[in-house]
Amino acid sequence: MIKRKKECIAMLLAGGQGSRLYVLTEDTAKPAVPFGGKYRIIDFSLSNCVNSGIDTVGILTQYQPLELNGYIGNGQPWDLNRNFGGAHVLPPYTKTKHNDWYKGTANAIYQNIPFIDRYNPEYVVILSGDHIYKMDYNKMLQFHKEKQSECTIAVITVSPDDATRMGIMSTDENMSITDFEEKPKHPKSLQASMGVYIFTWEVLKQYLIADEEDPKSENDFGKNVIPAFLQDGRRLFAYPFDGYWKDVGTLDSLWDANMDLLDPNDPLNMRDPSFKVYARNYATPSTRIDSGAKVSNSFVAEGCIIQGTVEHSVLYTGCLVEEGAVVTGTVLMPNTVVKKGSEVNYAIIGEQCVIEGGAKIGERPENVVGKEWGIAVVGHKKTVPSGSIVKPRAIV
Amino acid sequence: MNMSGIIFSEMYGNELNEFTHDRNMAAIPFAGRYRLVDFVLSNMVNSGITNVGVLAKQHYHSLMDHLNNSQEWDLNRKNGGLQLLPPFATETVNKNNRGKLDELRNALNFLENVSTPYVLLADAYVICNMDYRPALAHHIDSGCDITIIATKEDGSSTKPFPSVMQADSGRRVTSYALNYAAKAGDYAGMSHMIISRKLLIKIIQEYTAKGIYHLERDFIQHQFNRGQLSINLYAFTGLVLRIRDIGEYFQNSLAILNAEVSHPLFRDDQPIYTRVTDEVPAYYGMDCSVSGCVIADGCIVEGSVDHCILSRGVRICKGATVKNCVIMQGSVVGEGASLENVIVDKWATITVGAQLKGLSSNPVIIRKGVTV
Repeated sequence: MIKRKKECIAMLLAGGQGSRLYVLTEDTAKPAVPFGGKYRIIDFSLSNCVNSGIDTVGILTQYQPLELNGYIGNGQPWDLNRNFGGAHVLPPYTKTKHNDWYKGTANAIYQNIPFIDRYNPEYVVILSGDHIYKMDYNKMLQFHKEKQSECTIAVITVSPDDATRMGIMSTDENMSITDFEEKPKHPKSLQASMGVYIFTWEVLKQYLIADEEDPKSENDFGKNVIPAFLQDGRRLFAYPFDGYWKDVGTLDSLWDANMDLLDPNDPLNMRDPSFKVYARNYATPSTRIDSGAKVSNSFVAEGCIIQGTVEHSVLYTGCLVEEGAVVTGTVLMPNTVVKKGSEVNYAIIGEQCVIEGGAKIGERPENVVGKEWGIAVVGHKKTVPSGSIVKPRAIV
Repeated sequence: MNMSGIIFSEMYGNELNEFTHDRNMAAIPFAGRYRLVDFVLSNMVNSGITNVGVLAKQHYHSLMDHLNNSQEWDLNRKNGGLQLLPPFATETVNKNNRGKLDELRNALNFLENVSTPYVLLADAYVICNMDYRPALAHHIDSGCDITIIATKEDGSSTKPFPSVMQADSGRRVTSYALNYAAKAGDYAGMSHMIISRKLLIKIIQEYTAKGIYHLERDFIQHQFNRGQLSINLYAFTGLVLRIRDIGEYFQNSLAILNAEVSHPLFRDDQPIYTRVTDEVPAYYGMDCSVSGCVIADGCIVEGSVDHCILSRGVRICKGATVKNCVIMQGSVVGEGASLENVIVDKWATITVGAQLKGLSSNPVIIRKGVTV
């Protein structure tokens, strides 16, 4: 019998807690955190898959999966409701001999070997659902084939400062990887891993099985699998990517990436009709901006009502900014209400929050003298009472 | 749910020809992201109706494109769901709209296959947010042959309604007139009617066999006047917007800007669904001025916009002033252009510096795809 097969499928690691997002990931996995007015972080990786012609995506969940499971649903918003293939949410499961959580990124893929084998793929793309970027994985796959690579890692050039916090690749003139260091003190190169890997499945499977048998392994791609490939002299290549890419793993970087959407040059190329970012949509009416409101340099999704002032901000679906309220340099997540007379400056406000009248959150950088300025953060479903003050850098 | 729905997507006496050159009435854009059909269709879904037939006759590609696989309305069902019912291309297809019974012939198969005892017949030009279940209960309770859903009028509207009724205290209709202005206390039909499925099948077959096609005149009025049809009246007290002509389209589009109109129409517990297009959120530029507007996803607003409805993907360039306008999907208003009381249909381009001014009672209309 000839089995139906897929040339390339994707496995998306979405089980991470994202602890550096603090209150924003208390009850939800990082990939489900809202971003950019109408998206969730995971939408970017999922849309990349679909726009690259990959129609089979395994989504590995573990930490607080409820919101993410509901969000993915049958995959229809991303056109991933396919008869053969499509989106599959893959949580850890019990087995006859032993029950394991996903011990590490490599172990998570190891536990899903049967899923991957159902599609009998030549290549597997391994992704992490916590970056904001638009990338055609198909171009990277062509590179992987041309180089007859067994493992290709997408890299982006970063500043020497950032390099000390990332996985850094050294390559020869042929882009063959010669060295790999995790968070080096003195980086030998500025090519950082983007967390996007393409493996030749047959080879990876072999390494995953070997890695699982090694009791000393942490079962992690960066720490164990990639170094094993290097040590064995496997064909390992770096694929240079020069578009917009941002890790939104910290509150500051999440805020920065949202603000990048206001750049008139549109570095992320959000409006490209041939490479749309898909998201689950909600049945809300179009945004209403009432007389007397002021809106400038802002990104506003549908279903908002603006009666006050909104500047340099990103507003998610269903937010209400009442008359006399001022929102500046702020990210408002879904269905948050900013009441009359309150002020929100340079902040991230979680989903379904209520900012009562007279409350003041955050501060404009120019108003902070002698102290360290930073964004203020309010977690999901919080009510900030009338008259209270949330200082810059505070997390509520 | 023991009721199915049938939606008429064509015009019956409505005067919206400027918008219907290449779409039918149900597909006319409204309130930024919606089409007229979205309201009646969402009401049906929110009332638990899972069998919906949409009758279409002319230029229905736009409607088909919009409804697609009806996933957004949750009507992509294994059992039931949404069916588009275009005519069979036989010699009996008449280009003119001869009447609703003529089109209902195309729903005969649909009506025979659904098992619900009742059918709701509804036009798409009436915009409201309504649960049809109390109306059905009222119908069953009345024991009447049909129930017409209507609004109680205060006599302020001089425009004729498709049907105007008077009723006794038990809401039994005592007089029924077509194309008539309503006096204070009269009931104006909302082109929504509940009827038993078996009776509907019977009258479609009997009347069309005799070449009689006008549902309201030849069946309802005729039979009622002969005392052979009992009509129950269900008064809907919520907000209703009727789109009978261009003037009403313009006026009711801009009415959405008032919270008193938009709140009862767009309810969290009974949402209005529409096709998803995956546009990015709207971007408001550094020096834009926006006041009293409804703005959909994908718009780029850099000019001055006052009292307007902008559909998806509209671009208002720097220095443009747009006042009291309805701008449909994908249209561009160039730098320094000035528009007042204008309806711009989809994908039109208003070039740099153009000046267009209509009257609030008589807006200028720019047709689809035109460059001004």
